[in-house]
Amino acid sequence: MTSTQGSMTIADRISLADPETTRIAHLLRRAGFGATRDEIDRAISQGYEATVEELLHPELQPDLEIEDLIRRYHTDQNSLMLLESSQSYWLYRIINSRRPLEEKMALFWHGLFATAYGKLNHAKAVVNQTHTFRRHGLGKFADILLELSRDPAMIFWLDNKDNHKDAPNENYGRELLELFSMGIGNYTEDDVKSAARSFTGWTIDNAEYMSIRASRDSFWPYGRIDWQFRYRDDDHDDSEKTFLGHAGAFNGQEIIDIIVRQPATAHYIGSKLYNFFVSDRPDEEAIGILADEFTRTGGDIRAVMRCLFQSDFFSDESARLGRVKSPAELVGGTARLAGSHRTPEWTICNLAMDVNFMGQEILNPPTVEGWHTGMEWIDTGNLVERINAAGAEMRDTTRPGVSAIVGRVQSAGDILSPRQLAEACLDAVGMFEVSETTLNSLVALAAPWGEIRFDQDDAVACSKERVVEMLQLIVASREYQLA
Amino acid sequence: MTTATATFEYSHTVGFLAYRGRGFIHPIALTLGDNGAMYVLNRGGPESVGRLEHKRVCVCTVDEGYIGEWGTGGTEDGQFWWPSDITRAADGRIFVTDEALQRVTIFDPNGNYVRHWGDVGDAPGQFNRPAGITAAPDGTLLITDGLNHRILRFTTEGEFLDGWGEYGAQAGQFNTPWGLTCDSDGNVFVADWRNDRVQAFTPNGRFIGQWGTGGDGSGQLNRPASVAVDSEGYIYVADWGNERVHIFAPDGEVAGILLGDATVSTWAADYLAANPDEQRARTEANLTPAVNPWRDHHRETSARIESRFWGPTSVAVDSEGRIYVVDSCRHRVQIYRKTV
Repeated sequence: MTSTQGSMTIADRISLADPETTRIAHLLRRAGFGATRDEIDRAISQGYEATVEELLHPELQPDLEIEDLIRRYHTDQNSLMLLESSQSYWLYRIINSRRPLEEKMALFWHGLFATAYGKLNHAKAVVNQTHTFRRHGLGKFADILLELSRDPAMIFWLDNKDNHKDAPNENYGRELLELFSMGIGNYTEDDVKSAARSFTGWTIDNAEYMSIRASRDSFWPYGRIDWQFRYRDDDHDDSEKTFLGHAGAFNGQEIIDIIVRQPATAHYIGSKLYNFFVSDRPDEEAIGILADEFTRTGGDIRAVMRCLFQSDFFSDESARLGRVKSPAELVGGTARLAGSHRTPEWTICNLAMDVNFMGQEILNPPTVEGWHTGMEWIDTGNLVERINAAGAEMRDTTRPGVSAIVGRVQSAGDILSPRQLAEACLDAVGMFEVSETTLNSLVALAAPWGEIRFDQDDAVACSKERVVEMLQLIVASREYQLA
Repeated sequence: MTTATATFEYSHTVGFLAYRGRGFIHPIALTLGDNGAMYVLNRGGPESVGRLEHKRVCVCTVDEGYIGEWGTGGTEDGQFWWPSDITRAADGRIFVTDEALQRVTIFDPNGNYVRHWGDVGDAPGQFNRPAGITAAPDGTLLITDGLNHRILRFTTEGEFLDGWGEYGAQAGQFNTPWGLTCDSDGNVFVADWRNDRVQAFTPNGRFIGQWGTGGDGSGQLNRPASVAVDSEGYIYVADWGNERVHIFAPDGEVAGILLGDATVSTWAADYLAANPDEQRARTEANLTPAVNPWRDHHRETSARIESRFWGPTSVAVDSEGRIYVVDSCRHRVQIYRKTV
């Protein structure tokens, strides 16, 4: 997961709501995938701090309530054998989860510990890894690294199944230090070698058979067989090692304990969280605050996230609408808003394909570094994809979310001028900040319609159509591309 | 598996993962024909253009003969989108429900399209995701209307006759019912999927009794998908959420629980013989490792142990005591034999 400079900024920003409402809407965009107006109202009523705590404790909310329905109607999402099926399954979770930060953290860790279907040829193995991120993503960083080191997809991805006592393979040991915890420049080649030796014997069941199947993409005769972690003591190098100034007959867990205590690790994870949740533009002072919290709490990610969400730099105007939504955020968030796919519909695979076409193949990141984020999500081609996909979601008034938005706009007044229509629609989709340029454009586009009326029976249907047209214009706006 | 009166022994496996031709891809149901014929309905998925042709009926025999295939994915006449269940009438015609296209399609015994019917809605005779279908002894068709939570009866020409049921958990109510079957007297047995039970009714819809409560213990069910009844009154339930088949004796007691015992089918053996390095590694592998999954343990266990059922969506019995279990996530049919 890497960032690029050149974040979006809103130069002529105007606010359509009070600061607390704006702040909560920002929180729900960043800590989740946006929110309906009803969800925003609920968060406002319980307050910012309580909303943060609710987000930080996903275990207090029910798990995905339509999981059985998904697996019943999509038999292919029961086996998760195919990549498209698995991507669709994750999209269902993004759209329907009542634990939005859990899904957002899974997406964050998936980008950082980027493991790709392309090498594994085993989609469910990558899905299982994301379940690990759901379980541990807000826990202690040491536990996350330990689970990651035992994760079969990671063991396969970075060749730790080939890391033997007599023939170490340094791939996992190197990336553990370079990409997953400390960053380059904070360790030596000898440290890499020691780390690799410490993880010898951390493998999977039936490694040879599974390797042959993966190498030829064989799912015969009866589909994929789930991989399972296996520690082989007879293949573990238990000799003395030196690692980051420490000496001992280390095993992998002890290596992780040392890594988590390093200031470089605190800074590295702080910078990655800042980049994903706050801004593409590094702010060393803010990253330092997150790193200090990481160190103070022994790598407690929940505490670091609490610190982040409660900070001034998170809520600052420069951060709000300062990040380009990733394709998964854009598509999943718009579907949440529109209320589509709350029950299984075969079209979910089309939504998953939309995410792919916009440049983010979830479960199949392009490299070990994950995706290039920020402005690199946007180019001429995929901007059209983004606008079309969002517009299509908002077009269907049979969708409960769209219907609710139309109802809310209708309740704003019997007669709405073009400006009142634009502002009522922006409010109903939870967009409380836009540029004056955008607002004026929306008003100008609505001007030919004149006043829309809900007080005359023969005008209501036409007025509702105008609302839907306005919604499509709004999701095509520059601000809607931003979080 | 043995009870005081009956024994249920694994026989063999039919199947192999294949997108087309000799094999199955996410099979969801089957119906039996003459001379050991099996019509295996493949749901396939996901519904992307290149994968639509995976949706089809594979015709084979219980002793692993391959006869052919018919049908494909799409929205045109005779095509499938979310094919859900299949049944064969006394005259040999075959009927397939489709939960996405909201219709029942009729095929002749050779798989040629005849016609279809179905309207979306909740009025009498309309569908909201028609799921299970069975041919009753009186020549009518019974269909579970999944999201309308009811049973509908039609003639084999698609004329609506009557129906019963509504949403709920009381006797005679349903929550997203799936498979159903009739015994020789025409009594109707319904896999009341989201109520974790099987309900039985007289031919005219009067409630008789029920089996199962929610859970994974003996006598408990988790999202039962399908039910079959043999000539002696044994009830076989595809206990989908528990990845097993539950067998109830006529007296209501648990007569057996099957977890899956698949072996290498003839079709699978052909593949392995053509790939000797894979066959060698497979022979040396431990395919029944100790499992310590972290959640949904039955499903995760089935994902790790290849011989287990994984997503049993349909169960059927024949007059020779054979029990057929459609193993949807393993792309095969496991066959057992009952002896008394």
